[in-house]
Amino acid sequence: MPASELSRDGAGNPAPWRLRSDQLSGLMLILLALYIGWENRAYPLGSLQEPGPGYVPLLIAIFLGAMGLLIALGGGKSQRLTAITWPEATRAIVILLACGVGAFALERIGYRLTVIALLIFFLGVLERRRPLPVALVSLGFGFISYYVVGDLLHVPLPRSPWGF
Amino acid sequence: MAETFQNLLLGFSIALTPSILVYAFAGCIIGTLVGMMPGLGPLAGISLLLPATFGLNPIVAIVLLSGVYYGAMYGGSTTSILVRIPGEAASVMTCIDGYEMTKNGRAGPALAIAAIGSFIAGTVGVVGLMLLAPTLAEFALRFGPPEYTALLMMGLFILAYMSGGSTIKTLASAGLGLLLGMIGIDVMSGYTRFSFGIVELGDGVGIVPVAVGLFGISEILLTAGQAAAVKVQRPRLRDLIPSREEFRLSAGPIARGSLLGFLIGIIPGSAHIISSFVSYGMERRLAKDPERFGKGAIEGVAGPESANNAAASGAFVPMMALGIPTSPVTAVMIAAIMVHGISPGPLLISQQPELFWGFVASMYVGNVVLLILNLPMVGLFVNLLRIPYSYLYPCILAFCILGTYSVANSMLDVWMMLIMGGIGYILRKFHYDLAPIALGLVLAPMLELSLRQSLAMSAGDYGIFLERPIATTMFALGVLLFLLALKPLIFKKSRDWRKTVGLEGEQG
Repeated sequence: MPASELSRDGAGNPAPWRLRSDQLSGLMLILLALYIGWENRAYPLGSLQEPGPGYVPLLIAIFLGAMGLLIALGGGKSQRLTAITWPEATRAIVILLACGVGAFALERIGYRLTVIALLIFFLGVLERRRPLPVALVSLGFGFISYYVVGDLLHVPLPRSPWGF
Repeated sequence: MAETFQNLLLGFSIALTPSILVYAFAGCIIGTLVGMMPGLGPLAGISLLLPATFGLNPIVAIVLLSGVYYGAMYGGSTTSILVRIPGEAASVMTCIDGYEMTKNGRAGPALAIAAIGSFIAGTVGVVGLMLLAPTLAEFALRFGPPEYTALLMMGLFILAYMSGGSTIKTLASAGLGLLLGMIGIDVMSGYTRFSFGIVELGDGVGIVPVAVGLFGISEILLTAGQAAAVKVQRPRLRDLIPSREEFRLSAGPIARGSLLGFLIGIIPGSAHIISSFVSYGMERRLAKDPERFGKGAIEGVAGPESANNAAASGAFVPMMALGIPTSPVTAVMIAAIMVHGISPGPLLISQQPELFWGFVASMYVGNVVLLILNLPMVGLFVNLLRIPYSYLYPCILAFCILGTYSVANSMLDVWMMLIMGGIGYILRKFHYDLAPIALGLVLAPMLELSLRQSLAMSAGDYGIFLERPIATTMFALGVLLFLLALKPLIFKKSRDWRKTVGLEGEQG
């Protein structure tokens, strides 16, 4: 896109400045680098000749900050933030939250129950599949995967307090 | 040369034992299925299977995992050709002409050429590994901490030069990975860094949760809302045979793709992805009638498919000879070997000849297995694509949780995987390359340790990196490539190599 189009709207008026994708991501990297630099105060830096445990992390944080700055500075021609669409974001957040709940439950109610509950949620609630296939897939996957991984391959998987 | 053949015979005596054959076979089948599933590339597949290898002997473990690796490379091409869905990133280029061939009723020959090309390239790659790795390992015995520092720095510089997308963003991704690698106990001082009071973080962040999160979970988050199963062609066995003209047109691209892929495979980064892009670009440039590309040119299938399979073998050279991963996949493979108390590095080939040569021979066997298995059974495998994605992704998610948890029986790993999945999802939206994060995570502790050991050796004199010819050469080469990577950013008129192969803007 030519620079003139970026700075002016159709009527020739200066377009309002809007944050662009690379500018935002660059700024985020700078903030992360600053945070790491701040956290790094707890570790001795040592010297150039004898680096301490805080030396290399600080170098990397500076490097990351510099890259963030370059990305932000060069981000004027990147796509507009509004051009990044998030049609799947709600579903993605629900999936992540459900997995989080599953992770929380895994060691409390055991592998089989957790996986069965997760699959029932994904297939039955999120994807609105018919009850019979949902039940078959959830129970089948929960039991068969436990049998293959836990029993055949001897990978210790968490059980519920009821021994299940 | 005689010694090499003797060693290879030793390798075949191991690889052809029934138990190893069974695992090679199982690895290839699992890999093919994994490669065909969107959201589960070779890396996620290997990571998830990793815990299952803990109870196996190291040779069996590496044979199984490498079978998954090249099986997945092949499986990805099947979905690319038949339904225009790249099962894994390296198959993106195969989609273009492969799917056009399917639309033209030539799906069979496209699949056959992809399989033959993969077989030839895989074999060339294994020969290269067999000849190069022992020589490189012998050479690497002269390496001390300064050489390793220079080598790792050179790796990062090359990563910037060979990145698929923006150099600066690739470096930023590598920086993020290096920072992740700083978490945990500093071995030289005993300080626990960035653990935020979580005791388990003292051991650092594992490669498996990061890899599964970045590559598996983020893909599912991006694609979860997809529609139902796609229509799939099931080519019959007799339709698979390419015409004489198709064989003639494919011979050159397969040969070039094999050599190019192997060479690119040795260098760090997403080599198998880059090699397929470079090969496609090269074939288009070399073609007498480049306008055929994009409309079903068989060279557009033969070249990239050969290149990405040869690159998969090439990546094992630095892994086996130097103990340095050049890709996230080899990083996980190193983790798999180390679980068994074996450290990959220059001494591995001489101290564990059964492991190295058994592995090399099993790769030959695996290539044959894939060729025999995949072509006749392609009709069976494509049934997987008929399963609606709404049924597939919850099962893949459950596998991700299962696989990540069982590596170390750690809930923290599961949380880490979910966090990395969320981060990966956002980074992909902003067009950041994710492979350098996984690489940075693995390389960071090695780099820091070798740098500090070098300075301890020289009493703090940085001149040690300039006094040793190998280290100096590697540094100089790395800096040169880094400057070349920066050239298009400084001089706007300078032509970036990515543009010539259509790689510009290709990330994630």
